[in-house]
Amino acid sequence: MSPAVEFVDIRKTYPNGVVACDGVSISVEAGSVHAIVGENGAGKSTLMKVLYGLEEPTGGRLRRNGEPFEVASPLDAIAHGVGMVHQNFMLVPSFSIAQNVVLGAEPVHGRFIDTDRAVAETAELAERFGLHVDPRTRVADVAVGMKQRVEILKALYRGADVLILDEPTAVLTPQETDQLFAALRTLVAEGRSVIFISHKLREIMAVADTVSVMRGGRLVGTVEAASTTEVELARMMVGRDVVLAVERHRSEPGEPRLVVQHLTCRDDLGTVACDDIDFSVRAGEIVGIAGVEGNGQTELAQALTALRSVESGRVVVDGVDVTDSTIAQRRAGGVGHIPEDRLHDGAAVTETIADNLIVDRYRRPPFTHRGLSSRRAIRDQAERLIDEHGIRAIDGSVTVGSLSGGNIQKVVAARELSASPSVLIAAQPTRGVDIGAMEFIYEQIVDASNDGAAVVLISADLTEVLTLSDRLLVMKDGRIVAHFDDPANVTEQQVGLAMLGVEPDEVTR
Amino acid sequence: MSETMTVEPSTPDRTAARNELRRTRRRELVWDIGATVLTILMALAVGFVATLAVGKDPIEAFSAMLTGPFSRSIRIGRWLEDATTITLLGLSVAIPFRAGQVSLGAEGQIFIGALVAGTLSIHLAMPGLAGLLIPAAAAMLAGYVLGLLPGAMKAYWGANEIVSTLMLNAVMVRVYAWLLTSYLMADGATIVASEYLPSSSRFNPLSDLFGTDLGRANVLLFAVPVIACGVWLLLMRTPFGYEMRMVGANARFATYGGVGSRRVIAMSYAVGGAIAGLAGAHLVQGTNGRMILGISAGLGFEGIVVALLARNNPLVIPLAGLGYSYLRVGGDVMEQDASVGNEIVYIIQATVILLVTAQAAHALLRRRRHRGKADVGGVAPPTEASTAGVG
Repeated sequence: MSPAVEFVDIRKTYPNGVVACDGVSISVEAGSVHAIVGENGAGKSTLMKVLYGLEEPTGGRLRRNGEPFEVASPLDAIAHGVGMVHQNFMLVPSFSIAQNVVLGAEPVHGRFIDTDRAVAETAELAERFGLHVDPRTRVADVAVGMKQRVEILKALYRGADVLILDEPTAVLTPQETDQLFAALRTLVAEGRSVIFISHKLREIMAVADTVSVMRGGRLVGTVEAASTTEVELARMMVGRDVVLAVERHRSEPGEPRLVVQHLTCRDDLGTVACDDIDFSVRAGEIVGIAGVEGNGQTELAQALTALRSVESGRVVVDGVDVTDSTIAQRRAGGVGHIPEDRLHDGAAVTETIADNLIVDRYRRPPFTHRGLSSRRAIRDQAERLIDEHGIRAIDGSVTVGSLSGGNIQKVVAARELSASPSVLIAAQPTRGVDIGAMEFIYEQIVDASNDGAAVVLISADLTEVLTLSDRLLVMKDGRIVAHFDDPANVTEQQVGLAMLGVEPDEVTR
Repeated sequence: MSETMTVEPSTPDRTAARNELRRTRRRELVWDIGATVLTILMALAVGFVATLAVGKDPIEAFSAMLTGPFSRSIRIGRWLEDATTITLLGLSVAIPFRAGQVSLGAEGQIFIGALVAGTLSIHLAMPGLAGLLIPAAAAMLAGYVLGLLPGAMKAYWGANEIVSTLMLNAVMVRVYAWLLTSYLMADGATIVASEYLPSSSRFNPLSDLFGTDLGRANVLLFAVPVIACGVWLLLMRTPFGYEMRMVGANARFATYGGVGSRRVIAMSYAVGGAIAGLAGAHLVQGTNGRMILGISAGLGFEGIVVALLARNNPLVIPLAGLGYSYLRVGGDVMEQDASVGNEIVYIIQATVILLVTAQAAHALLRRRRHRGKADVGGVAPPTEASTAGVG
């Protein structure tokens, strides 16, 4: 039988000269989960965009079931049974799940939408693939995991038998991930194919039949998952051995540097997002905050960095009450912040690396000298930080937007850590970042804490918080629902249960 | 294994990469200039077709337009005088533009600048340099305040800047007309105008300097490049300029970094307003020598075109201003000498605006570049589409 999808010698050169795909050939067999892995900027996303009709390749061709396959737009892709689930969900929050699933292809009764049939068809589809949803619930009211199932159902409803999933597990708990994988197995058992993009090698080993590794726009190799190991895949991705085990000498924690007392704040819609949060972080300590996304972690990070105003409670840094201080004052007081959304908060992508690296210090000497910006100081700092932090850029005059995700994150981390913060708030510091950059950012966070910083590490990645944290807090519905004093001896399953709100007594300590 | 080399490029590699980058940037610059020239050529072509369509001789009309400004020294003067005002206005809108703000308030700022400069010059006759500079500085201050108002309203209360700046323009035009007709009109004047300013408050005409009749062109022309460099310095080499650029690029990022984004937004309107105020002063202390009714008929909006043409680069704005004024004066000459209506020039201007905002020439050149041929035959369809839009 011919492969479901074949990429034949695909090339893509962007107008700015970046070669994203350089002669990539991959065959995706029907009835299999085919994982594509690689660092950021390896060309995975571009390859998927080519298949989904979002990018026109500059060379090579596609085949679908052995036939030549021309895709000019996502509509073509959908018409040929190729569906894509994006990392950022594209759903209408005020519509019910069934309405979202049938959107654009609604069953009609005369001139009107047949709502009952929409619900019935959604329920049937959900049943068949084990993608549990409640068709009548509004999308705005459901959790992230269910939103993702809705996205998958949407693609299946349009007859997708090749499903592209771009980093699908980034937002899921371990339990939700297991459910997703079970559903994917059902899909491929029916003869459909899944193309699975991920950084997480453990998950790939768990779900994929075949793995293709990309690096620098080229295909490094395609292997059977059964005949490889995580270590080998990591080596193929990065081109060298990777040690993700973080070396850290646990120094005796010092005085509390960050104290949060009864902190309550509201989200943009006015509902309470952080409810009576109480914790402290000592010098040299890393406190992890785990939780399913959307449970108040984002707002907590903003409240700690003055990006969000506090309704009640106090934030104390090095003994000084900073609750009412401005962002600039808090930064001057030694609070560093690696923001969750690096593209919107952490960087100005149209500006140069050098300018991005001074946003918290541009008014201070040596960057401003006698009222004028010192180009030399700005350039020298950029050169230094690019070298020290292994940012892959020719020099500081390159715009941040031309870097890959991992390198953008290195720019953000370089800026925040070079300020030698006394308190560092790191939110999702390695989301969507490749293994090489991840290793580096871990080292830097640990270094900062060894130098005496109090680190708050907010992450949805349990492996990450369990590896790095000295203590671990779990947030749910704006409250701290569990704390673990010795994360090294806690399993991901235990934390996962706490994240889902299972009685803390059963899991704590 | 060779690929791992790219992780830590050795020094010669890096030098080579840098040279490559520099070459790419130079090439980009050449393409940018090419695109601007192409935009103007396309717009002229549209005007040419329009002239044909109304049954006039386009050759005669275009030769009048394109050589007109140089045909008499007084016309050169008109060109330089107009370029002075237009360039100042281009610089004025480029500042808020860089902070991501659209200010349409230059028109009102011209009127208040003209009013303040004119009134001070007439009623507080000051000797020497003070007589020249104090009214001009006061006009800048007035423009500053009139810019700060909508800027602060936008920054602190979220007022829509397009509505507020346009409304302020309407108010200022009428305040100016009312004060001029009721209080400032010269005795026995045949038109609605104030008396002439004392010569100490007038920018010296270039005619005196060069000994030929250069009309109303004056020494403020020489200040324009200095002001352009000043604006460039402000934007590119001061902390405030950095703040404006970051707010313009990504306001959330600027706020996250500790920039007081609201203050920066408000101030960007104010600083832009100050330069528009100076343009108003120029119209009174330079061009007209007195306050007249309707002293600016939409000049503030011409500034936007100039800033767009120069892509908000303060160092390019004087060139764009000179080029754009040349077209404007050429249009007047065409009307006089070839009896083809000035409207052709408006068509050309409108086409320029459309092409610039759509970045049409850039897209066209880029496509050509990728196909590796330089066939200009494909130019016609988009320009025709644009004329349809104008009509």
